[in-house]
Amino acid sequence: MSKILIVDDELHIRLLLQQTLEEFEEEGVELLTAENGEEALQILQEEKPGLVFLDVMMPKINGFEVCKVVKNDLGMKDVYIVMLTAKGQEFDKRKGKEVGADVYITKPFNPDEIVRKARDVLGNQLS
Amino acid sequence: MIHVSLQRLVLKNEVNYIISQITGLINTPVFIQDAEGMALFGEIDQYQPFRYPVEIDNKTIGWVGGGEQAAVLASLLSCLAKQELEKKSIGREALEKYKEITLLYDLAEKLTASLDTAEVAQLVIDEAKTLIAADNNSVMLVNEETGMLEVIASSGKELHPGEGLKNGTGIAGSVVLTGRAEIVNDIPSDKRYVPGAVRVSSLMCAPLKIKDRVIGVIYISSEDPVQYTAEDLKLLSAIAFQAAADIENARLYDSLKETFLTTVYTLAETIEKRDPYTGGHTKRVMNYSIAIGKVLGLSDTEIGRLELAAMLHDIGKIGIKDRILLKKGKLTPFEFAEIKMHPIYAEEILNHIKHLRDIVPAVKHHHERYDGCGYPEKLRGDGIDIKARIIAVADAFDAMTTDRPYRKAMSLQIALEELWANSGTQFDPEVVRAFFEAFEKDELLVKKGW
Repeated sequence: MSKILIVDDELHIRLLLQQTLEEFEEEGVELLTAENGEEALQILQEEKPGLVFLDVMMPKINGFEVCKVVKNDLGMKDVYIVMLTAKGQEFDKRKGKEVGADVYITKPFNPDEIVRKARDVLGNQLS
Repeated sequence: MIHVSLQRLVLKNEVNYIISQITGLINTPVFIQDAEGMALFGEIDQYQPFRYPVEIDNKTIGWVGGGEQAAVLASLLSCLAKQELEKKSIGREALEKYKEITLLYDLAEKLTASLDTAEVAQLVIDEAKTLIAADNNSVMLVNEETGMLEVIASSGKELHPGEGLKNGTGIAGSVVLTGRAEIVNDIPSDKRYVPGAVRVSSLMCAPLKIKDRVIGVIYISSEDPVQYTAEDLKLLSAIAFQAAADIENARLYDSLKETFLTTVYTLAETIEKRDPYTGGHTKRVMNYSIAIGKVLGLSDTEIGRLELAAMLHDIGKIGIKDRILLKKGKLTPFEFAEIKMHPIYAEEILNHIKHLRDIVPAVKHHHERYDGCGYPEKLRGDGIDIKARIIAVADAFDAMTTDRPYRKAMSLQIALEELWANSGTQFDPEVVRAFFEAFEKDELLVKKGW
């Protein structure tokens, strides 16, 4: 079963993303959430989601570090990681590339864009 | 319609754990099935007489079976399901609001990028259309001079750009006066309503405000009766708030641009006034140049610069003494050398003005010749700024067709023949060709009496 992990320290963003991705739940995809980097790493290893929406700005372990651990240290190169970055804060593309992030989307995100991205990624993984 | 799946609820880790704990406590086998009878937990016992419904708002979404104690579990699941439903409906509402925010955010970005009033107004309408259901949308602005409320941009059949309402009349006019947004869901019974091109049933109108001043309104209406809500009006007001600032910004830019152009034009006319023979010369050279530029397919920005350059092409003559500039007889070689300085003087003047520096090549080189025998730098061919090549043709044509201190105007036919004869030597042949094309299409506004 495909799984999507949502990682953000802000409750409302987690809820909005869950709501945005609700249609996938209807199709049998499991939606998981984590509210910090540590929890995200734990869930990533236990549940092995295929797609992660990962907030960059989080206290303690930030999104870049989570991404780096997952893609390099844990060697989970197949996980598709979408970095979420706040508008106004210039996304460090070089760093994103360095840690192996697949793509980034700015907040406030456009829900349709999130759904399209998830469809693209999960569509590929299912086939 | 939002629905809650009992299956998904039961499968949730924490819920599953609690169910196991409770079934352990009540010490009898328990099973849970969905509304269609499929087992979700435990094994279904066909002969079990006790089955309790799991309900949300009196709708059964599944059953719990297994002794009287199973009733507790059914109530617990009903309660959890109800909470799940509430969470989902709040989530859905929040997502709708979030979508609106994203759209407003996009709108704000697009609007700040534009400095054209009509374009800003059109963007506002496009955005309002995606957010609120309506047949007709328009942005109207108060014209301080005429006192009219003018339609700047619109969609739908009710109102069109260029149309206007006398300020203070109609519902839109009333919104301008009060500065308060309004919903009218029953238009026929509203006495203020002024019927327009189509019959409409419901409308919303929000003021475009800069501080306490109302500069116009955004107006939407529906032909079919709909009930616009306070939420819709709040959204329209949010769009209006953003739009007002950007429309004002664009208007200030427009007026700044106009002030600049008027100042430059006045300057050009003042210079022209010194030489009574050249009355209207600047204006005509501008018109000819723009017409040629359009045939040649210059961009709007380039046409704008061409207009300025044509307006100022003789500004350097301000540095030529009256004795020489206004001399009726033949000029001595020394005097002619002085006249030939005017493009250089122009460069010196224009270099002082930041916004005019980029038209220096167009002004400085309007006396260069295509074959390289002109002045002041003897540039040739494509080495001469295209705007200068255009002004050269326009300037020569006007000089030939108007009276000068030393000769009468040539006939139109001779002037045209003269342009043709000098195409490729004095003038860029492409520009001459464009001149004739514009002439054929009557775009030069020349009287064609032969």
